[in-house]
Amino acid sequence: MANEDVQRTLEELSRNLQESTAWLEEAQRVAHLGYWVWDLETNHLIWSDETYRIFGLTPQEGLIDLDKVREMIHPDDRDAVFRTAGEAVRSGARADCEHRLFRPNGEMRIVHSLGDLKKDSSGRPYQMFGTTQDITDRKRAEEALQRMSGSFQESNARLEEAQRIAHVGHWDWNLETGSLAWSDETYRIYGMAPQERPIDIAMLREMIHPEDRESMFRKAEESLLSGGPADAEHRIVRPNGEVRTVHSRADARRDASGRPYEMFGTVQDVTEGKRAEQALRRSQFYLSEGERLAHVGSWASTNLGINWGDDLGLYWSDELYRIFGLDPKNGAPGLEQCLAYVHPQDRAFIAEKVKAMHEEHCICDVTHRIVRPDGEMRYIRVVSNPVVEQGAFKGYIGTTIDVTEQELLTRELRRERAYLAEAQSLAHIGSWATNFDTGQIFHLSDEVFRLHGFDPAQGPIPLERFYDTLHLEDKQAVVAALEGAVRARKDYDISDFRIRRSDGTIRFLRTIGHHNRSGEIGEYVGITMDVTERKRAEEERERLRQLEADLAHINRVNMMGELAAALAHEIRQPIAASITSANACLRWLARDPPDLERARAAAARIEQDGNRAADVINRLRSFYKKGTPPEPGIVDLKDIIREMTALLRKEAVRHSIKIHSELDEDMPNVLADRVQLQQVFMNLMLNAIEAMKDTGGKLTISSRRTPESQIMVSIEDTGVGLPAENTERIFDAFHTTKPQGTGMGLAITRSIVEAHGGRVWATANSGAGATFHFTLPAKGGVRA
Amino acid sequence: MKSAALPTVFIIDDDKGMRQAIEDLVESVGLRAETFASGEEFLSRRHISGPSCLVLDVRLPQMSGLDFQRRLTETGTQIPIIFITAHGDVPMSVRALKSGAVEFLTKPFRDQDLLDAIQQALQHDRAAQEQQAEIHDLRERYHTLTAREREVMALVVSGMLNKQIASEIGASEATVKIHRGNAMRKMQAASVVDLVRMADKLKLPPGK
Repeated sequence: MANEDVQRTLEELSRNLQESTAWLEEAQRVAHLGYWVWDLETNHLIWSDETYRIFGLTPQEGLIDLDKVREMIHPDDRDAVFRTAGEAVRSGARADCEHRLFRPNGEMRIVHSLGDLKKDSSGRPYQMFGTTQDITDRKRAEEALQRMSGSFQESNARLEEAQRIAHVGHWDWNLETGSLAWSDETYRIYGMAPQERPIDIAMLREMIHPEDRESMFRKAEESLLSGGPADAEHRIVRPNGEVRTVHSRADARRDASGRPYEMFGTVQDVTEGKRAEQALRRSQFYLSEGERLAHVGSWASTNLGINWGDDLGLYWSDELYRIFGLDPKNGAPGLEQCLAYVHPQDRAFIAEKVKAMHEEHCICDVTHRIVRPDGEMRYIRVVSNPVVEQGAFKGYIGTTIDVTEQELLTRELRRERAYLAEAQSLAHIGSWATNFDTGQIFHLSDEVFRLHGFDPAQGPIPLERFYDTLHLEDKQAVVAALEGAVRARKDYDISDFRIRRSDGTIRFLRTIGHHNRSGEIGEYVGITMDVTERKRAEEERERLRQLEADLAHINRVNMMGELAAALAHEIRQPIAASITSANACLRWLARDPPDLERARAAAARIEQDGNRAADVINRLRSFYKKGTPPEPGIVDLKDIIREMTALLRKEAVRHSIKIHSELDEDMPNVLADRVQLQQVFMNLMLNAIEAMKDTGGKLTISSRRTPESQIMVSIEDTGVGLPAENTERIFDAFHTTKPQGTGMGLAITRSIVEAHGGRVWATANSGAGATFHFTLPAKGGVRA
Repeated sequence: MKSAALPTVFIIDDDKGMRQAIEDLVESVGLRAETFASGEEFLSRRHISGPSCLVLDVRLPQMSGLDFQRRLTETGTQIPIIFITAHGDVPMSVRALKSGAVEFLTKPFRDQDLLDAIQQALQHDRAAQEQQAEIHDLRERYHTLTAREREVMALVVSGMLNKQIASEIGASEATVKIHRGNAMRKMQAASVVDLVRMADKLKLPPGK
């Protein structure tokens, strides 16, 4: 029984063992775990079936020894595995390692091996028991997982980074719970620290700009209803009050029935972009507008081209096309075309310049003319810089400015300046601007320098030097007037003062100053002019006027002799008439019977004639004023002729008469009464003018010496000529051919000439007019 | 003596007072007077008929008295001139008188001197006019002569006998006689002496 029981028990045990072994086998297979026994004495290895399988072998296919195992382990792991094993044997600790192996078919597997040492009773190790598990799949899964997790984290980080950089945040809105989840960047966009606090819809609502709030939520609702994505640009107000512009996009997730359960979306801060966009758009607008207004075109070339016909890769701004009068649609012209638009006179120079730019990569700044296709000529200024990147020449960028108006203005200005300077020089008027308080000179035209006897080329001169030229006799008055005006800030006009130039010449100047109220205090602008000629002319006019007055007086005085006779005639006439009338009266009374009527008439005439005589005597009084005895002196006839010509010029011009003189320059002087000679010339010249007054003509005064060493003066006119008869009688007193003439002029002339020992006569010209001649004895050796 | 017109005194003076005084004086002695302010006015207005004379002021505007005198001579107007002047000098008066002036009076003059001069001038003019008329008469008679008769007359006046004349003109003595008779009759010559006087007055050139 016991044996039976033992047998049964043994059988049961055996069965249980077999079952256990089967399960173990099954467990090993499922877990890819094999076991092995290493006999340290014999170095024999016993492998379980699963171990064979792990190594890619058929279970119990052959005996396994250490060398075979070694061979199958991955070469990189081989040493480590045996080292671990050796270590375990020495120390008695568990061997534990992961290593790779190659199956006979070349497949690599990763295994995890564990080994425990078995010791005998004496403690000597005799066996190692271990397991080997194929962990390849797990390992791979782990690695994959790790890789996946790494890349997920990385991409999540990248996403966060990208969101941060792009100012894009995202959010989820659980429609069922109403909870809101924000990404870090969404917090930042809303002006909060990431995940600072939970956000709900009410808080969000508060943070949206009041003006955009309603429209934004309406859009969200519409999106939920319609099923389409929502897209809105709106403003938000950060907790610190800052307003930002954001762009929100949203969409909804829906369940199978199409009911939305979640809304998600992005929010992007577009404030900077918005600003940048606006700024860019504005600056582009400003640039093109600026170019258009300033007539500045810009261009860039990548290559100036070696061959003139090359396409230069030119960029032209719109304004540049306008400057050249070209259509942008046709594209930028080539270099050769550009040169064709250059004015022919500038073309060679520009071609040279372009060549130099190409060869030397120099900076260019030229102004030249172009002729537009429509023939209009424009001035342009081209400024360009070479573009050099890392030492390599890349081309040119430049601007082209239409400077036609400036250029024309400049030329006009230059011309005006030249004209002004010329005009100032001609008129002897200089212009200036100065501050008398500070002595600062703003402007001094060249003519001012010249007026004061300075050379304009010598450069700036202090005001004092101008004062120094003032004539000593005038200086005090001029300076006082000037300083007085400047002190009172009044305009001034100081006339006819003298200056002495460094070469000693004296000039008369006039200076007019105008206080420039819009300028600095003490600032004056004005002109200075040379009035010397006018002053001298005035003096000369005054002298001639005096001369004329003297002559008129002298004429009267010299007429006295002739006048006595003339007056005798004037008085004699009424006296004779009254005597005759008296005789007649007596005869009418002596008649028988007396004719009283006729007698009375005769007596009335006597009265009239008596009164007439009295009138003549009254008029006579006016002739007596002053008398000057003749004063003989040395006289230069040329002087007198010049004086008389000047004196009668106006009268001559009035009658379209030219006065011309042909004088013997070496004419000797005469000893004569100057005033009487003036009178002779005046009488003869006035007669000549009188003779031509209706027709105009030419009055010629000539002088020469006669063989008898006398001076003969001839005064020739182209007038009515001499009377046909009694030519010699024209010199007689009372002989006149003029209705208003006295008949005295030539008589006086003759008496003066004859008193000086000369002779006067008249000849008819071969052409029109008459010539009066007179001679005077020359005073030998006496010269002017 | 065809003309029996009243003698007229023409007065030319630019001085109106003087002009009227002389006119009045002339009229006070019963003569006719006409006044002019200038020589031109006289020439343009006046056609002289009958005995007359001219009282002329020397000093006149435009044409002086002396010039006017010459002008009259040149145009063959013969009229006695009495010059008056307020400013007489000797050379002027000599020149005037040489040119045929009757008198040269200086203003103021004695009235009797002027009136005497006027009478003398009128007398002179009357005689001259008579002579002028006679010559005019003779010239008309002479014009009625044939060329032959004038030829014969000239030879007669030169003192030739009929016989000489006949030989001179190549005609018979009888023919000469006929021509001579005709000429004497046409010229109304009472005798050869009368005919000679007429030829002299006509200033005929003497025949050969």
